[in-house]
Amino acid sequence: MARKIADDGPKGRTMQPLLELYEQDACYDEYATENGVPRPHYAGLAATLRAIEWSDLRAREQTVNAVLLQRGVTFTVYADSRGTERIMPFDLIPRIIPGSEWSRLSRGVAQRVRALNAFLADVYHEQRILREGVIPWDLVYSSKFFCREMIGLRVHRNVYIHVSGIDLIRGSDGTYYVLEDNLRSPSGISYVLENRDVLKRSFPKLFENYQPLPVDDYPLRLRAALRDSAPQGLRSSGRDEPTIVLLTPGIYNAAYFEHTLLARRMGVELVEGNDLIVHDNVVFMKTTRGLQRVDVIYRRIDDDFLDPLYFRPDSSVGIAGLMNAYRAGNVVIANAVGTGVADDKAVYPHVPAMIRFYLDEEPILENVPTFDCTNEREREHVLAHLGQLVVKNTNQSGGYGMLMGPASTAEEREHFREAICAHPRDFIAQPVIQLSSHPTIAGERLAPRRVDLRPFVLYGREVDVPPAALTRVALSEGSLVVNSSQGGGSKDTWIIEDEG
Amino acid sequence: MLSRVAESLYWMSRNLQRAESLARIVDVAFNRTVDRNVAGRQQATAMWRSVLGLVGVPGDDAYPGGSRFATDAFALATFSREHHSSIVSCIHIARQNAASVRAELSSEAWEAVNALYLFIEKQSPRAVVRAGPSSLLREIRDAGVAFGGIVDATITHGEEWNFLQLGRYLERAAMTSAILQTHDEADDSVPEWQRILEMCCASEPFARTLRHSNDPHDALAFLLLHRTFPRSVRYCTVEVDQALHRLSETQPGTFSNEAELVTGRLAAMLDFVRLAEIVDDGAVGFSRRLAGRLAEIGTSVEATYFPLVPAA
Repeated sequence: MARKIADDGPKGRTMQPLLELYEQDACYDEYATENGVPRPHYAGLAATLRAIEWSDLRAREQTVNAVLLQRGVTFTVYADSRGTERIMPFDLIPRIIPGSEWSRLSRGVAQRVRALNAFLADVYHEQRILREGVIPWDLVYSSKFFCREMIGLRVHRNVYIHVSGIDLIRGSDGTYYVLEDNLRSPSGISYVLENRDVLKRSFPKLFENYQPLPVDDYPLRLRAALRDSAPQGLRSSGRDEPTIVLLTPGIYNAAYFEHTLLARRMGVELVEGNDLIVHDNVVFMKTTRGLQRVDVIYRRIDDDFLDPLYFRPDSSVGIAGLMNAYRAGNVVIANAVGTGVADDKAVYPHVPAMIRFYLDEEPILENVPTFDCTNEREREHVLAHLGQLVVKNTNQSGGYGMLMGPASTAEEREHFREAICAHPRDFIAQPVIQLSSHPTIAGERLAPRRVDLRPFVLYGREVDVPPAALTRVALSEGSLVVNSSQGGGSKDTWIIEDEG
Repeated sequence: MLSRVAESLYWMSRNLQRAESLARIVDVAFNRTVDRNVAGRQQATAMWRSVLGLVGVPGDDAYPGGSRFATDAFALATFSREHHSSIVSCIHIARQNAASVRAELSSEAWEAVNALYLFIEKQSPRAVVRAGPSSLLREIRDAGVAFGGIVDATITHGEEWNFLQLGRYLERAAMTSAILQTHDEADDSVPEWQRILEMCCASEPFARTLRHSNDPHDALAFLLLHRTFPRSVRYCTVEVDQALHRLSETQPGTFSNEAELVTGRLAAMLDFVRLAEIVDDGAVGFSRRLAGRLAEIGTSVEATYFPLVPAA
């Protein structure tokens, strides 16, 4: 199915052909049309790449990697006992999204977050959507992430999802689908910020020509959202501002770099569980001048670890008594506790219904068709077609606990068959969506590699979608798995204004 | 400011200062032992033992001497991961602390520590031994000194900086008093005092200030009491005292906590002590007592600012 792309640009002297040999896969290609002609918004990039020598591109790549390593833009490899740090592979070829397309995507993800947030407010209070039979009771109550402690607890402005990342992919006709909603402290924004910063230094001219929308105000927009999450009563800094902290599990966490970057750029303290203490249902941090009150905790640890008195008693990164302070309204936790029930993979198929139910709107972005394994007919279909479907465990994420049907062995399929029959609530199945491809440096040439897109959505007073989205790329040929834990890399993502 | 952060800044600063001092000490020791002019093998072995003592290697057992003793001792002092005061360990500890306070450091400061760490990590001890240690040690020394300049120029001189100053000057004072304790009291020769001055980074400032004096007492007074030499124990103690008062926002000459009390007393002693009294005590004995008082300052800084649960 590979198609060779004609290149009508000037042939370089003796240089390695970069784009001449770009062969498309059988999927939607971001860069070129089916006829191999670069799409209009990629014409400028194509011209730049034609003018660049292969060795030059390599040299720039090495410089960029050295800068990222020196800055410590790394994640820790858990499997390695020495705690080796690696940089997340960064591909130099930027992904470009036209403004009109982005505006539809950002309206789409904002709509989704509004509906998901309304769902959370509803299931923890009136439960209208359950009583009216739109979503089954047992689906919500059987969710591992449904948090009974949250029932009846009022959160300021009814905002639960202060920060989210919505994963989008494109089918073979170019249609965008929502693959997953990440509502429990999604990470990746540090790569967006750092990728942009280093790429700017490598291709200043190209930037000048394209003028992509800047990403570097993200931390300030995040801080504004966190500030708005606190009611008027929580203003302990004395300057009509709440005291905000970022709670990290510590330096061994894979996303620690991101926590430090965000804390630094927002100008807030980066705290670990041991830095906080609860007295009389008020949270304090231990400072060199005694205890200082904390109003807002942007936490980057899971619900389970927040408070050893309420959740896992073995948590060493949490704060004893935090939930009592939260329930007393003396501290804001962002994201709110219990948001996981809304991004449970088994709840995902119902998001379009939520949009209609709460917003009375039609969904702007489509869901990937999903089979519900608790439904007997759908389960039979799934079991009969395991070889063609993607099966996901609803309790796992990050590309773990997944069956890629077409690439699976009979043994793996048998394993999943038994698991699905034993615990149908824990599994969903979806057709294999091809994912769009994008030119990516692969060995000594540019080759199509599959990409997804994660826009980040902030919600303090209003929903805010900064033009800062993460493109993840599957670096091995034909692979559809983009997770960094599974060998994925990332690209800088440019949102450009449409001409005219 | 978080107590944990203050503590990490303090230890990061101390460990970088220690790595810098050790790199200089090891370099001086190495140069003096490969040189044919030194008094003899036995003396050289004794010097290495005292240097290894600074790294926390209990001299006699771990370091028996031997045919390639300079090289072996260098490798031990620089690359040993078992001893928490070897150069590589200091850099690891500093980097670990830096990582946990990345949000409070400037990017420049963090990158400087990270670059030093990446640099030492990619060294192969065997290759360094073959090429000679001088350029490696020089890099470490320079990175340590440069770090002081980077933080001075890139972070506000507020609380964070004051904790860095505390660590830096307390470590310097401790290192000068530790080097003086390695003095062989049976040997008051010019080369012996020259070695001590070099290890304290003092030989050129001393030569310029004292016009090439050969009097060991001048050298001793310079290292302990000089008002403006930035590694004399007195200078460092005054810096510690000032950093403490900036932190508590109280007047110098008064005290509001234990750390200020013990530092103020030591500063006063160094202001008013006579050289003759030090000489009566002996350089080694006096320095040992001094080291004890500096350790006391360290303990009281920890108790004042890094308790597990601070008083509200």
